[in-house]
Amino acid sequence: MRVRAELIVESDGKEVFRGESKSFLLNFCKVLYRMLATTGSATGSVTGVISSATVTDTSGYSQTAYIEWYTGYMYVGGGTPAGMNGPDNDDSFGIVVGSGSASVSPTDYRLASKISHGTGSGQLDHDTHATTTSFSSTSSYIELARTFVNRSSGDVVVREVGIVARSLWKNNGGVANDVRYLIARDVLPSPVTVKPLGVLVVRYRITLTT
Amino acid sequence: MLRGFVEVTVWDRDGKVVQRGRQEMRSFINNFLKILEALFRAGQGSATTTTLTDTGGSSKTVYVEWYSPGVGSGIDYAGGTPMACNASSGDDSYGIVVGSGTVSLALDQYSLASKISHGTSSGQLSYGPMTFEDLGLDQTVSPPVYRMRLIRTFINLTSSAININEVGIVARNHWKNAGSVIIDVRYLIARDVLATTYTVPAGGGASVAITIEVEVG
Repeated sequence: MRVRAELIVESDGKEVFRGESKSFLLNFCKVLYRMLATTGSATGSVTGVISSATVTDTSGYSQTAYIEWYTGYMYVGGGTPAGMNGPDNDDSFGIVVGSGSASVSPTDYRLASKISHGTGSGQLDHDTHATTTSFSSTSSYIELARTFVNRSSGDVVVREVGIVARSLWKNNGGVANDVRYLIARDVLPSPVTVKPLGVLVVRYRITLTT
Repeated sequence: MLRGFVEVTVWDRDGKVVQRGRQEMRSFINNFLKILEALFRAGQGSATTTTLTDTGGSSKTVYVEWYSPGVGSGIDYAGGTPMACNASSGDDSYGIVVGSGTVSLALDQYSLASKISHGTSSGQLSYGPMTFEDLGLDQTVSPPVYRMRLIRTFINLTSSAININEVGIVARNHWKNAGSVIIDVRYLIARDVLATTYTVPAGGGASVAITIEVEVG
């Protein structure tokens, strides 16, 4: 049995690609490793970073992403190591799409050519994310999906998709750690053209079977 | 995307290896997926939870993102982590665990069929600390893989042999608020029934190494 990741792309309600996503990246591995390798046992007055991973953020900088962390101040503290729920109109994390076709490398830290959120030429309106789950004793899956709408007057061509995660930790009401890092990137076998007012849906589905 | 291998090595009281085997993991279960799914919904700066079954069989709400409201004065000591496995010596509540059960795998399982507890009494094994190896990227295979290894050693300090038929990984979801623990849940994320019974002789020991491979690029 493997944990399988599947990529599904729909354009205007029609499935245009379905295949295995083999393109989880070095950043994902580093965070998963550090997530498992931490203790989860800080007690009493322990503060600071208990575990972290060194990742390359979407700007190409080496960054420390917190995995387990405790505030040392009196106001709001806490966070998450790998959130993927980019909100409406936010193209900085969650599922992202691009027009580049450069081959995937394990060390990729961004899409080759990201399509920004917006309504201008070459842009796509980034919607909220949706999740779907199905759990049973023999077969289960989870799915993360995002919708993109072309509100410009010209075609937008999508050749690559990916997932950007966010390590976000707050300390004393401020932000202690906020790192966006690419964890998956897939180049589509054929480009998908999103027409004006066309709708693109990208789904990452992770499946377990006995 | 992700697969793994379980390797078990058994030695006798003289340190001589008497049994060794390796098999593919079959074994990540629903609790593991539930944590990943919660991470899908996280990252917006507010609490994100999921419900899973702990090793005692109880339904529990756990966090993958959480923020203390603050204590107003003094120090908060708030924070946490969603899926820790680095248990210390003698702690059989999380990390790699072993058992004697042979019940087939189901994705909704929440514990080993029959866990062997830490200890020195009859039927118990002395649990060593978890160790982790970051084996890094291997680009000599296609597709390239990134490997990480979780290892634990078990010593039989009793006077009788003990059989191991199953191994699992238990994770810990741990969050604090105002210096106190608000969530501390142990939950099984993987279980494998071994193809062979491994018999740990009295005075001997066993190591279980779980290598996780992620296909990358």
